[in-house]
This record gives sequence, structure tokens and C-alpha cells, in this order.
Amino acid sequence: MRLATAGVAVMLTALFLLLPRPVRAFGDEGAFHPRVLLVGNAKFEGPRTTAPARWAWELTRRTSAPARLAPTTVRADANALLTEPFAYWLGDRDVGTLTTRELVALRKFFSLGGVLFVDESDPAKGAFGKSARRELARVLPDTTPVPIGTDHVVFRSFYLLSRAVGRIEGPKNLEAIVRNGQTQVIFSSHDIAGALAQDRAGLPSFAVVPGGDEQREMATRVAVNIAMFVLCSNYKDDQVHAPFLMRRRARDR
Amino acid sequence: MSIDAISLSGDLPTWAAVIAAVLFAASLALVAWELFRHRRRAIAVASTGLLATVLLAAAVFRPVRIASRATDVGPRVVLLIDRSLSMALPGDGATRKRTAASALRSLREAHRDARFSRLGFGRGAASAWDGPDDDLPTDQFHSDLAAAIASISEAADEKPSAVVVISDGRLDQPVAGTAAERLRATLGTIGAPIHTVSVATEAPNDASVRNVQTAGAAVAHQPIRLSVTVACTGELSCGAIPITVNELVESGTPLPLATGVANIVDGVGTVELPITLDRAGSRVVEIAIRAPVGDALPDNDRRLLTFDVTRDRVRILHIAGRPTYDVRAMRQWLKGDASLDVVAFFILRSLSDDVNAAPSELALIRFPVEELFSEHLPSFDAVVLQDFDAVPYGLAPFLPNVKKYVTEGGGLVMVGGLHGFSAGNYAGTPLESVLPVVLPNGTQRVIDTTPFVPRYTAAGRDTPVLEALRSLYGNRLPEMSGTNVLDVPREGTVVLWEHPTLTTTLGNPMPVLALGEHGNGRVVALSVDGTHKLAFSELAADTAGRGYGAFWDALLGWLMRDPRYEPARLELEAPCRAGAPTPLRVHSVPGLEGEVQLKLIPLGSKGPTRVIDAPPRNGRTSFTVELPPLDPGGYAVRLRVGEGPSTRHDFACERGGQEWADPRPDPEHLKAIAEATGGTSVSADEVDKLSFPSATPVASERQVSPLLPPWVWTLAAAIALGAHWITRRRAGLA
Repeated sequence: MRLATAGVAVMLTALFLLLPRPVRAFGDEGAFHPRVLLVGNAKFEGPRTTAPARWAWELTRRTSAPARLAPTTVRADANALLTEPFAYWLGDRDVGTLTTRELVALRKFFSLGGVLFVDESDPAKGAFGKSARRELARVLPDTTPVPIGTDHVVFRSFYLLSRAVGRIEGPKNLEAIVRNGQTQVIFSSHDIAGALAQDRAGLPSFAVVPGGDEQREMATRVAVNIAMFVLCSNYKDDQVHAPFLMRRRARDR
Repeated sequence: MSIDAISLSGDLPTWAAVIAAVLFAASLALVAWELFRHRRRAIAVASTGLLATVLLAAAVFRPVRIASRATDVGPRVVLLIDRSLSMALPGDGATRKRTAASALRSLREAHRDARFSRLGFGRGAASAWDGPDDDLPTDQFHSDLAAAIASISEAADEKPSAVVVISDGRLDQPVAGTAAERLRATLGTIGAPIHTVSVATEAPNDASVRNVQTAGAAVAHQPIRLSVTVACTGELSCGAIPITVNELVESGTPLPLATGVANIVDGVGTVELPITLDRAGSRVVEIAIRAPVGDALPDNDRRLLTFDVTRDRVRILHIAGRPTYDVRAMRQWLKGDASLDVVAFFILRSLSDDVNAAPSELALIRFPVEELFSEHLPSFDAVVLQDFDAVPYGLAPFLPNVKKYVTEGGGLVMVGGLHGFSAGNYAGTPLESVLPVVLPNGTQRVIDTTPFVPRYTAAGRDTPVLEALRSLYGNRLPEMSGTNVLDVPREGTVVLWEHPTLTTTLGNPMPVLALGEHGNGRVVALSVDGTHKLAFSELAADTAGRGYGAFWDALLGWLMRDPRYEPARLELEAPCRAGAPTPLRVHSVPGLEGEVQLKLIPLGSKGPTRVIDAPPRNGRTSFTVELPPLDPGGYAVRLRVGEGPSTRHDFACERGGQEWADPRPDPEHLKAIAEATGGTSVSADEVDKLSFPSATPVASERQVSPLLPPWVWTLAAAIALGAHWITRRRAGLA
């Protein structure tokens, strides 16, 4: 009997060791990873599920930045939230109330310098964005989202952007929560994921209005800029870049 | 010498003696007055009266005989001899020290009764030295007469009756030209005349770097103005004299800093030369002139000065081959430190990337590799190459510049990644030779993708460099997803982290984090790209991400020679004088185990490195090592404790220093000192003209004995009084 128990234990251990683990190749460890943040009982499903992978692919196609081409999800109360400094929170409905564990984990995430991108999938209703702002106010009390425009480095972290767009044109600016000089939360009311998402045939999942493909390209550039901002921080604010970029912007006006 | 004398008994109070004397005088006066009125048998009365009075006085005063022995004590004269290096220079027909020795001998012969105390002066208090007068040790870089006089004044010894200063007059203190009142105030505290003996009057035919002044402190990367004064003395004819200023560095030719020409007018010319020192710490700068033919003292044609260069801000060049979370962490740490001045260039787009936009729509600028690595490189304190490939971005042609930069004192950090080390095409390049590890060549595996946790080596556990990190996590380190493959560490390299399974071609564990030195610079090699997990990970969350700052603060601090991360602090106990041993004080960090290894490296030449024997520490953290006699030049001392990282101290060694910079004697200054203090100024062959207070006799033995016992005087007085009374009766007196 004792021998049988020991045998079962050995087998279980062997099975555990054989379980698939997220093995990352050397060089991918620091790659951009647009992992989707899930809270409560939320699941990541629907036509926008292809958007993170598309975002990663566009980033690697257009820039030298490495990215995970098969992004994963991460739950707000999981320890895995603290393994990487970026998360992508999107949705089209009220997120509900964050649990205490989620609040604590998100606070740790931000205290380490993490960056969260909050993308409203249904700007017409705005339920997701509104509830996300409400819950983030609980995570980060004493902070308020502020509009960020072309003065902000996210508008020149790779492309020179004159405004933010997504599946819909939306407002010109993004919004952000800035703590200690660091932009830690970026809010979009443009449904960037909607512009990036593709179906199995590789066709866009959603029409982009009113600008069509040109607007989709601009939405992709916004996504690339956000990724580059996450990876490079305020690199394009450096003095060595500033005069050059100011001249280029002035010429384009 | 013996002396005899008669005196009165000392036990009689003065008032009693006075009263007695008055009474005796009055008695004699009465006798005289009586005889004047009554002249019968006057002679007999007078003689007996006088005899009785004298004997009575003798009975009262009881005279004694004093026999004493005495000695003549000569005046105490302090001979204060200049021990500065300038006394070794030529004087009038002989070296000044030889003339001083001759003057000492003459003084002793001319003033045999004087008691001479022989002291030397240089820096600080006057001090005696052993050895004959002919062997005057001229080993002082200073000639501070004021401090020497003050020390004699404050000593508890017998105050001197006179001081004789023997010098060439080229003094640090009091400086030439000081007013007489000021001289009196400074030197008059001794309360005795100061005589001066000048050992030289003629200046040699010589050109020299007389003075070098700087405006303010030396700060890395900031120009500092050198004011160089060149002078010609004696009969030497000087016109325009070229000047060169170089920094002496290890294993390489001196770095030119500035050149100029001093136009000599009335024997002196001054030129302003701006120089910029790019490396912080102790730096040796050589200021040299090309002297005209006939120059008597080649040794003072150059000065070697040690500049303690500080930093305003540390200038970092951060270059990343591609943006990653590791690059992000590094940038946020660099930008978060206000003491760092960061210039960053990240490769955001490679040639194969399809940006789908016109160049004007991109916020990208050209990577200015040529400007950075040919023109601006020396202006940085450290260069961080993070996951950066040398070939595609045109760095390969400039790798010799990077090697030169490190050799001349720059700091280099290479951080691994897909484009680091051999994967970045650095194997076999000039840059590889400055790395602390050998890189595998193209035929070998250059990347290993097996996840692993780096392991601390014994040196890694002991070094102050990783102390802060270990205080946060102990020996725990985050898992890395793989590593660049590195081969054997170079000689002198300190491996702090090693791979748990991979080995080098020699079979030892593969280095993961290694520190090394090349020339004057330091290099850090880190084969992984996952230290960002010290800033952001579950492990990092335990310490609010402070591990990353603790790790990189220390690595950069070590790279910049921050004393906090050095295994020891080195300092010379006295300035190095060529040809003489130099004591070096070592203060090592407590707790470091292992043998102390010391090396002495000549700067600016290819001279051999010498190994210095260090005494056994025996648990001490501070001890002194004697460096051997050295030639003039710049030197670096490297010290290593056990297998830990080394530390270094640069210093200059001169034969004459500032003491030889102006070889002119200054007898007028000596004359002013003598006049201000009531002394006499003479030349070395006139010391017999000096006069000192005469000798004082001092009694050493004294014997007092009565001439006669008191009862004899009393008996004689009584008899004399009786005879006088009988004589008076016969003469008809009462």
C-alpha cells in the first residue's frame, strides 16, 4: 500500500514537471507583451481577441522592438501581473467592482512602475472606460486622468502623430494618469483594439469610421507609439531629440 | 673657578643689624666727643674704646668665611638649518647644504662658549636629526620658518639667547617681501634675536617652470585654466619657450592637453593654458618646457602635479540595440538619478523594418555613430552598450576608439542580449581585448537559451559592489531566460556571478557578471538581459523594486571608482620624492579576506610593473607599505585584496618639486628677517661676526664657616670693655 502511494506520488511529480511552462527564449524576456488584463470573472473573447497579437506583429514589422506574437492574458489578482511592466485592459461593459486582492495586486503593479493601457471598445456607450476610471481611482487614490496631446512623448515615441484615433475618430487627445512624473495609465476612447482586430481570413474585423484604411493605419501607429513608449519610456523627450523633432513638426504644419 | 669671601652671619635680621650698627657708631661718636672735651690720656681711652666697640660688633655680627666654586655657562643658541630640497641646489661654488655644513663648523669654532642646539626646519615644527653636520638631510618639500620658530617658542625647554637661521632664503613662510612689523609679529614670539646666515647669493643659469596655478578645482569634462609661469635665472638667455601639458596615463603615451609658448621678458613669462580632464579621481599632469641650451637644472624643466578631479555629474552614453523591458529598466534608473547626465541612443528601426510611413512622419533621427565614437566619446564617463550589434549600425570601424577610450580611463558596460558580445560581432575586435572575458569566436555557440539562475562566486559574496543587492535578497537572484556565452576571464578579472552549469573552454564555470580593468579604465561585462527583473518581478515586489537600483548603482559606482565600492583607500603619507622611499597608507574595507597584492605601474611609459611586498595584515585594516625609491614621473598603485576587485591611486613623484621651481637664493629675505628681529645677517664665511650674549657664571658649590667661635668674640669684647672702663676711670672719666 505504502509502495503504491509512493509510486503515485512519483508519477504525479513527473506529470507536474512535464506540464507546459511558459518558456521564453533568450532575448524574448524583455519583449513587448500586450497581455490582456482580466478582472473579476471576465473572459477575453469575441472578435477583438486577435488585436493584441496584431499589435505585437505590427510592432515587430515596423520597429526593431521585439514582441510576443502570441500574447496571453493575466488576471488582476494573479502573481503573474508582477512579472512584466505592461498590461492591456479593454472591454465594452462595466468592469464591476475590483476585489481587495485585485486592488492590492494592481497597487503593487503601479508601485513597481507598471504601465496600463485602458482601451474603450464601445466608445458610444463608454461604460467600460467610465467603470475602469472609477476602479482605478480606488487603486490609485489622489490621482485624476488628464488629457495628453501632441506635447506628450507618446505622440512622438516612434511616429509623429497629430492626434489619437482608433476604430472611431474620437477625441484628439488621450488621457493619462501621471504619478511622480511617470505616465502609468493611458486611456483611449477610440477602440484601438477594434482597429487592429482581424478575422481568421486576415481581414479587418471592424470597419473604421470615418477614415477607413487611412484611419486604421493611424490607429496602428498609435498602438505602435504606445508600445514604444512602454519600452523606451520618455526617450524621445531627451534633449538630443527635442530640437530635431520640433523642427520636423514645425515644417509639417 | 673658586672664590673666597668674608661676610657677616646670615642669621641676623636686617633691622637688628642696622640698629646694632647705629649703636656702635653712636658709641664711637660719644667716645670722640668725650675726648674732645677731656683730653687727658685720650689716646688710651680712644684706642680701648675703639677696640671694645669693634669686638662688640664682631660678637654681634659673628663674621663668617665663604668659600664657593662657580662655572661659566655659555648662551643657548639654536641653529636652525633649512632642510628643504632647494638646499641641495648649487650655491656659490658648492651646493648650499655643503656651505651650510661649513657655516655650522665655523660657528662652533668661533663661539666655543655658546651652547648650540642643532635643529632643522622644513614642514611644521623644527626637529633634530642624527648625523654629522656634513650630512644635512635635504628632504623637505617645504621651508616653513614661521612654524619652526613657533614650535621653539612653545617648547618647554630653556629659551634660547639667540637663533641662527642657516638657509638660502627661499622660504615658504614668511614669504619674501613681508613687512618688518609682520615679521616681528610672526617671528618675535621667540624673544631672542634671529641671526641669519645666507648660504648662497648667486642664481644658477637656469630655465624652469616656476609656478603653476589653477583657477578653482578640477572638475571632469570642464575646462580649467592653468596659469604657467616660466622663468630664466642667472646668465641664461631666454626668448620664447615652448610649453606642453600632458596627462600621464597607464600603458600608453601621455595624452596631450595643451601647448603654448611663454615669451620671457625680464626673466619671466606667463601663459594661460585651458585644459580639460575627462576622468575623475587622482590624475597626474605633466607641465614641461623646452629649455634653451645651457640650462643648469633639467629637473625643474617639468612639473608633475596630481590633480584630484571631481565630478559634477556623471556623463553616461547609453546605447541600446533594440527597445526591451531591460532597456526600459536601465533608462528609468539612469534618468531617475539626478547626478547622472544621460545621452541615450536606441535603435528603434532596423533596415529590414517596414515602417509604412514617409521619413517625415517618423520621430526618428539618424544614429550619429561617427560623431559619438570619434568626437564626443572622451566627454563621457561611461558607455553602456546594451544588446547592441556593432556591425549594422556602423560601430565596427570605431571599436579601436572605444578601446582607446577605455585605455585612457573611460568606463564601459556591455549588457547581453541577442545582439551582445559574440552575437553582436565583438569577438576578435579591438573592443574584445578590453572586455574582462574572452569571447567565443564565430565557430562556437554564442548564445545559450537554457533558463538558469546565476550563482554568486566567493568574490561576489565578499565584494562591497554587491553588498547592497545581497542585503536585499541574500543569495537569491531572478531566473534568466538564457545567456550570451562567454569564455575564460582575463587575468585580473573578478567574476561576481557565474553560470551554474555552463563552463568555459578551461572547464571552469562560465562568468555571467565580471569586472575588469584595462589600462586606466574599467569594464563591466554582464552576459544576461534579465536584470530588469530586479526592478519588476515578483521577487522585486518584495523590496519595491529597489534591487535594480542597488545593483546598478554599485556597478556604476565601481566603474566610476566611487570609494564606497573600492576594497581599500590608498594615500601617500608624504609627497613622493624621487630617489627616496615613500610610505603608502592602506585602509582596507573591514571584512575583506585574502592576501593583499600591490603593484606599482609607471604612467605614461612602458616601464615594467613592479610587485610590492605588502606586510601581513594580521587582522589589521590599516597598515603602511613602503614604496621603493622611484624615478621622477607619474605612478599608479593598484591594490587587490584576495580575489576581489582592485583599487588604484595615481600620484606624481618629483625630484625637487616647487622647491626647485625657483632656484634663486634670497639673501635679502634673510636680511629682512634678521633686521626685524634684532639679529644680524651674514654670509656663510662671516659667521664669526655674529655675537651672542656672554657666558654667565653659575655657582655649583658654596661653603660657609665662622672666623671664630661666637664665645671667643663675646669674651674678647667683654675683656676689651673692661679694659676700656679701667682706662676711663684712670683718665678721670665716668
